[in-house]
Amino acid sequence: MKIIVCLKQVPHQDARLDIRSDGAWIQEEGIKFEINTYDTYALEEALRIKDAAEAEVVVVSIGPDRVTQALRTALGMGADRAIHVKDPEAEASDAIGLAKILAAIVKAESPDLVIMGMMSDDGNFAAIAPMLAGLTDMPHTTAAVKVERSNGTLRIDREIEGGAREVVELRSPCVIAVQTGINQVRYASLKGIMAAKKKPFDVKSIADLGLGGQVGAAAVKVRIEKISPPVKGERAEILEGSTQEIADRLVGKIKELGLL
Amino acid sequence: MGSILIVAEVQKGAIREASFEVATFAQKVAGATGRDVKSLVAGKGIGALAEEFAKRGGGEVFAADHELLEHYSVDTLGVAVRAAIEASGADVILFSNTPSGWDIAPRVAAELDAGFVSDCFSIEVEEGKIVYHRRVFNGKLDARLTISSEKAVATVQPGATAAFEGATDGSVSQLELSLSADDLRVRFVETKIAESKGVDLTKANVIVAGGRGVGAPEKFQEVLKPLVDALGGAMGASRPVVDAGWLPHEYQVGSSGQVVQPKLYIACGISGAIQHLVGMKTSNFIIAINKDPDAPIFEVADLGVVADLLEIVPALTSAVQAAKG
Ligand SMILES: Cc1cc2nc3c(=O)[nH]c(=O)nc-3n(C[C@H](O)[C@H](O)[C@H](O)COP(=O)(O)OP(=O)(O)OC[C@H]3O[C@@H](n4cnc5c(N)ncnc54)[C@H](O)[C@@H]3O)c2cc1C
Ligand SMILES: Nc1ncnc2c1ncn2[C@@H]1O[C@H](COP(=O)(O)O)[C@@H](O)[C@H]1O
Repeated sequence: MKIIVCLKQVPHQDARLDIRSDGAWIQEEGIKFEINTYDTYALEEALRIKDAAEAEVVVVSIGPDRVTQALRTALGMGADRAIHVKDPEAEASDAIGLAKILAAIVKAESPDLVIMGMMSDDGNFAAIAPMLAGLTDMPHTTAAVKVERSNGTLRIDREIEGGAREVVELRSPCVIAVQTGINQVRYASLKGIMAAKKKPFDVKSIADLGLGGQVGAAAVKVRIEKISPPVKGERAEILEGSTQEIADRLVGKIKELGLL
Repeated sequence: MGSILIVAEVQKGAIREASFEVATFAQKVAGATGRDVKSLVAGKGIGALAEEFAKRGGGEVFAADHELLEHYSVDTLGVAVRAAIEASGADVILFSNTPSGWDIAPRVAAELDAGFVSDCFSIEVEEGKIVYHRRVFNGKLDARLTISSEKAVATVQPGATAAFEGATDGSVSQLELSLSADDLRVRFVETKIAESKGVDLTKANVIVAGGRGVGAPEKFQEVLKPLVDALGGAMGASRPVVDAGWLPHEYQVGSSGQVVQPKLYIACGISGAIQHLVGMKTSNFIIAINKDPDAPIFEVADLGVVADLLEIVPALTSAVQAAKG
């Protein structure tokens, strides 16, 4: 059994978000990056399948040089092989462009299962998993919070609203986008990190994938024109002063509300 | 000029409120760009709902009535959506960002080779161009996007605008589909409703909620719990806290947790992503403590403190205890 896990490297959750001079994205120089939260859960889910059965876990990421680190971490956690799509054109792609790149890899690898995150923590597009499934004509489901396998059938609990779940069944090969909290993610062990150094690590360009001209800047359909801090509505009154003064003002308010 | 197709959603025998909200944007954009509004109403036994939607914003409605459309499946609804796009000649296709909308819409976009934008809180026409507004970085920044492909697909955030109130001269035509159970590659098995395990946050007068900013599980006990006890309230949490196993799921507030409306909600180290806000923004009074002055939680809070919660919360706890004497 072969499982592909798609990982994105995103700005660290506590990184400062300064807007770039063209206004269209954040300033990425000098900030820390990490594996997208949702994707750590996707990788863990694949590794659990591998722990229980014979499986090869292949991690794939599209991005610049820094992405090597994310893929090395994934190998250190237990993935078997990494594919890094490194090409300035790939990075300039929108969601559909990225999905086409991942589709080319999936078609070449023909995995039994593709596990992805439901959403990226930076762009929040929540688009690529269903797109990839559409492009490769595989069934898919999203917001998976439980995955059970038996004889090529997957039984998935997908999270719907208000804490309810919907149980669906789909046959492998398929694409599953996981929700956070589906499992408890392991850490890479020192032994794992050492072993990772010897694992296969492929670097591919857009041309290697036969996608020249089909993805990248010229093929972009969705353009982020501008990002900005959220429009301030009726904003909170911000309390200033010493910790003690602030605490006293808050208590005053709580009293006024009749709660003390 | 093409038309705008709304993919309406039927839930518990009614058109969802979220679909009428999509109609608000669809009607506005249609008016400003000279498009018509058309809709798909798909489900089982939905004849009357299609009639209703046609008059309340849906315009020219295609009704797809079939047993296999009773439960959402990307396969069966996909057939209906493709047929409706074809019949309507739509170039803008709008869904709501609900569990079925977010599941199917990007796939439809990929099949059409169309640009896709998810979870828009606003869709406007500026100088003849359709502009999509949405949040990025889990609510921390707003983005303005445009789509340049011939067809565009988008999902709309539920609750972002009011439901369409006007009346439309609608019409209904039946969409004949040949669906077979054999075509179902994703099969609905059952719905499991949320099990309540005794913690009912909806009854609490005061909720002290902690987010990822609390930093560690023991801090919930050492720092937040004394304030909860001093106020005689209940503890709540954001999703990452529950995902990390710091607190059980029943403490989660938000779209996939509980929706609460206490007299006082104190949010500590919670950034204020929309999925959290929908669970608490109608609380009577909201205090937010966050060290980031730009955190979106301050947009819904009544009182804000920009500081380290590990300093403010213990000081507040002592002040509450002192006030009680
Ligand atoms: C389909 C779906 C459903 C979801 N359902 C829910 C849901 O039901 N409930 C929910 O909460 N989320 C939900 N989410 C997740 C949501 O998008 C956010 O990721 C989440 O709410 C963020 O939680 P947070 O604010 O605790 O963490 P973060 O966004 O990481 O924010 C942490 C905050 O703590 C502040 N901070 C850090 N240290 C300190 C300190 N010492 N003192 C003061 N402040 C500090 C930081 O400035 C930051 O603002 C859902 C997401 C999806 C896609
Ligand atoms: N650059 C990338 N490389 C590999 N996988 C990606 C990339 N971007 C997104 N993904 C995958 O697609 C999922 C959804 O991302 P998105 O549609 O961008 O919100 C992520 O959780 C990843 O699994």
